[in-house]
Amino acid sequence: MKIEVLFPEAANLFGDCWNYRYLKECMPEAELIETSFGDTPAFADGDVSLIYMGAMPESAQERAIKKLMPYRERIVELVENGTVFLMTANAGEVFCKYIENEDGTRVEALGLFNLYAKRDMMHRHNSTVLGKLDNHFMDMDIVGFKAEFSQLHGLDTDVEALAQLSYGTGRNSETKVEGVKINNFFSTSIVGPFLLMNPLFVKYLMELIGVENPKLKHEEIIMAAYEKRLKDIKKMAGK
Amino acid sequence: MKKNLRFIIALWISKAAMLLQKLLGMNASYFPGKIAIKLCPDFLGRIDKPETVITVTGTNGKTTCCNMLLDVLGENGFDVLNNKAGSNVDAGIASSLISDASLFGRVKKKIAVFEVDERSSLKIYAYVHPDYAVCTNLFRDSIGRNAHTEFISSIIEKALPDDTFMILNADDPISSQLKPDNKRKYFSLARLDSDGTECRNIINDVRCCPKCGGKIEYEFVRYHHIGKMHCTECDFKSPEPDFCAVPDWDKGTFTVQTADGVEEYPLMSASKFNTYNQITVVALLRTFGLSAEAIAASFAHMSIVKSRYTKLEKNGIEVITNMTKGQNPVACSIVFDYIREEEGTKEVVVMLDDKTYRETTEIVTWVFDADFEFLNDESISRVVACGVRVHDYHLRLLLAGIPEEKLRCVENEQDAPSQLILDGTDKVFILHDLTTPDETKRVRDGVLAEIEKRGASK
Repeated sequence: MKIEVLFPEAANLFGDCWNYRYLKECMPEAELIETSFGDTPAFADGDVSLIYMGAMPESAQERAIKKLMPYRERIVELVENGTVFLMTANAGEVFCKYIENEDGTRVEALGLFNLYAKRDMMHRHNSTVLGKLDNHFMDMDIVGFKAEFSQLHGLDTDVEALAQLSYGTGRNSETKVEGVKINNFFSTSIVGPFLLMNPLFVKYLMELIGVENPKLKHEEIIMAAYEKRLKDIKKMAGK
Repeated sequence: MKKNLRFIIALWISKAAMLLQKLLGMNASYFPGKIAIKLCPDFLGRIDKPETVITVTGTNGKTTCCNMLLDVLGENGFDVLNNKAGSNVDAGIASSLISDASLFGRVKKKIAVFEVDERSSLKIYAYVHPDYAVCTNLFRDSIGRNAHTEFISSIIEKALPDDTFMILNADDPISSQLKPDNKRKYFSLARLDSDGTECRNIINDVRCCPKCGGKIEYEFVRYHHIGKMHCTECDFKSPEPDFCAVPDWDKGTFTVQTADGVEEYPLMSASKFNTYNQITVVALLRTFGLSAEAIAASFAHMSIVKSRYTKLEKNGIEVITNMTKGQNPVACSIVFDYIREEEGTKEVVVMLDDKTYRETTEIVTWVFDADFEFLNDESISRVVACGVRVHDYHLRLLLAGIPEEKLRCVENEQDAPSQLILDGTDKVFILHDLTTPDETKRVRDGVLAEIEKRGASK
C-alpha cells in the first residue's frame, strides 16, 4: 500500500501535513512516498493507493501545475481507474481548468474538471464550514475551516460536488456546493488537517484503498474532538 | 499632504474622544484613531510626523524590541512617541499621533518608534514614511490574516518606501530579502552548540530556494527556517551580518565585533530568542548613532515585560506563566523548545484557547503546525491540557508521542492545578494566550494554593 505525497516541501501550509501523517499513523504498514519538485512522481509509472497534495503558496501552485502537466494523461487514467486522490485547501485548483489572477491573466491548469479558480490576493475568505458529504456516496457530517485567496467558479455546474454545505462558504461565496468528486478523486478547499477534523472520512478512505475493518489511531479521542466541534459548529450555525 | 477642514474636524473629534476616554479611565489607544480615519480616510497622511520615524515589524519579537528601544532611547534623553499603549494597526498609530498633536495637527516630539502589524503595512506605509524599518523575522502566523510568508513578505515589500534604511535578520532567508535595493544593515546570532544541520520543526518555509526553487543546504539550522544556508543551484545565500551577537551564557553577556572593536552587552536572559531581540535593538541603535556603552547600560537593568512572563516560588517550586501566542505556531514551538531546554523536572499547563473564539469555534490548524513534540521529553513529567478545545490538544499531544499516563485533560482551566504532580517538581509552566490574563492569574494562584495545601516541595 503506497501513499504518495506531492511536493511536501512547499505544499505543507496550515498543518496539512497531518493529513498524510495521520493516515500513516492509522496504517503503519503503508509506504509513504514524498515526491519533491525535483523527483519523478511515483504514480508516473507505477501504482499507488492514494495521492495527496495540501495547501501551498500561489507560486508553488504554478510550479505544481508545470510539474504535473506532462503527466496529465496518466492522471486522467488514474482517476478513471479509481485511484484515490485527496486534495485539500488550494491544491485542488491545480486540477481545474485555469487560475485567473486579479488582472485577468490566466494560468492554464490541468483541466481535469470544468471549473476555474479566481484569485483575489487582497481579500481573504475565512469561513467555518458545516455540511454533508454528497448523499450519492455517503451520509456523513463534514466540518472544517476555510482561509483562501482563491475560490472556484463554474464553467460547468455539473461537476460533481464533494459535499453540500449548510453553513459556511462552498466553492465560492455564492454557493453551498463544496469541492469536487470524480470517482475517487476528492478535492476540498477546507484547510489544515481535514482528516483529523473528519475521522469518519479517514475510515472511508481507508476502506477505499482496501483496509478491512479500518481502525483509527486514538479513535476515542479523535471522535470526541469531532463530536465536540460538530456540536459547536451546529450551535454556531443555529442548527 | 496638506491639512484640510475635514482633517481638522477629524482631529478635534478624535481628540475629544481621547479626552473622554481618559476621563472615564479607559485605554485610549485605538478608538480615537479609528474615528479619525473613519472621518478622514487619509488622516495619517495629513497629520504631522516626528522628524525621525522608526518602525518595527515582523512575526515574533516586535513588541519586545519596541519596548527595549523605548527604554534605551528614553534613558538616553529622547522623548519618544510610540504606540506601546495598544494597537499596532493604522488606527493605533493614528491614536498615538493624535495624542501628541496640537489642535492644528502639529507634532511635538522629534522621534517616533512604531510597532507595525505586518498585515497593516499597506495602510500604514502609504502615509507614514519610516527612516528606519526593522523586520525581526517572518514566519507563519494567523492563517486567516497572514496566509503565508510569501504573501506577507510581498505586502511589506510593496508597502515600504525605497529610501527607508532596513535593519534585517541575516539568519532569516525570508525577511532578509526585503527591499533588496534599499540601504541596510544585517544582524545575526552566531552559531550555537544547540544548532543542528537538519530542521527539527514541523514548519520550515524555506525547504527550497526562494529564488530558483532549487535544493537548499543549511550550514546550520537554529529553528524552522532560521539559520545559515545557500542554494545548491543558484547564487542565493544568507547575507553576511554587520552585527553578529556571540553569546556567553555563563557570563551573561554577548559580544559584537564591529569595525570599531569588540562591544560587550549584558544578556537579559539566557535565551537565544531574547538574544535575537537584543541584537536587533543593538543593530538599530548603533546605526542610529547611539553608543555601545549607552545601550549596554540600559540593558543592564531591563527585564522582560511582566504580562508576558512571571515567576513566583512556593516551597522551592517555581511557578512560571509564559505568554504563548495561540494561532502562532512558531511562537508556541519556541516556548515549547525553551521549556524542554530548561533544567530540572517540569510540568506544563497548556491553556492556549483564544478567548475571542469562546463563543464560536477556534480555527485549530495552527495546533498541528506547532511542535508539541518538544514537550515529549523525559524532564517533563506531566502535561495538563485545558480549555474549550481540550480534545484537540489531547489528540495533538498523543500524536506528539507523549505517553497517555503523562497527560491530563480538563475543559475548565481552573481544574488544571489539581491535575499536577507538584511534589518533586522544580518548575510549573503555565502557557497562556494573550487574551486570558485573568484566567491565567487564577490558574497560577490555584497552583500556588495546591502546593501549599498538599505541602508539596521540589
